[in-house]
Amino acid sequence: MTIKVFDRTLEALSKSLDMRSERQVIISSNIANSDTPGYQAQELDFEGALANALTLDGSPVARTHDKHFAAGGEIDDIQGEIFNQVNNVVREDGNTVDRDAEMASLAENQLLYTAAADMLKKKLAMLRYAIADGGGN
Amino acid sequence: MDLLSSMRISATGLAAQDVRINTISSNIANAETPGYQRKDPIFSANADRENFGEILSRMDEKAQGVLVTEIVESDKMRLHYDPRHPKANAEGYVEMPDVNVVQETANMLAASRAYEANITAINAAKSMALKALDIGK
Repeated sequence: MTIKVFDRTLEALSKSLDMRSERQVIISSNIANSDTPGYQAQELDFEGALANALTLDGSPVARTHDKHFAAGGEIDDIQGEIFNQVNNVVREDGNTVDRDAEMASLAENQLLYTAAADMLKKKLAMLRYAIADGGGN
Repeated sequence: MDLLSSMRISATGLAAQDVRINTISSNIANAETPGYQRKDPIFSANADRENFGEILSRMDEKAQGVLVTEIVESDKMRLHYDPRHPKANAEGYVEMPDVNVVQETANMLAASRAYEANITAINAAKSMALKALDIGK
């Protein structure tokens, strides 16, 4: 088994951190507006696109020119989709925020952000170990 | 859009709930004041922008803080029969504000919960940002 230091893990982890900090913005926006009449709860989805980009690694459609459209396998191109939450109960004032659900996603997002940051740190520590020829850490 | 804008958004939530708690205490304090008008803050969603460039970003319409746009005063009065009161009208009625203390107390609890939710969101953003700083160590 070969352990590659420069594989797509670094790229995927940093994209995951980016997306999770955007999701944190969306969630805090929902929480701040949990009493605003007519406010529509928002949601950010990126997991599907990221998983897709990772499985498409080495797909037959290669980009041979800068101006080619991305074939969907580029982690860098992932933007995440922001949309209105649709299945929520609409309150009398038109607000669709479910505060309890938002608090749960807040906690989940924070945990997964921490996990990704830890993984990234470990990955960089590995690189440092290799640079120091196994002597440093 | 980053973790700092998440904290800014949550801060607008704190400020709005703070205004709400102030109006509620004012209503309760003046529940028996003849001529006082019951106050109610109106919340509306407000795009969080730090600079002009963010108007063009896709998050602009999605990441919104909350703003108290006006405080409406109810001119509805409760007539209380007390002919000896100095402010009584010709028929012996005093105009008391339309304040239901039980309702105000329930609103106060809701505002306090919403305030706590925004605090939790700020703490989450803060610990995520600290975790990100930790990557380089």
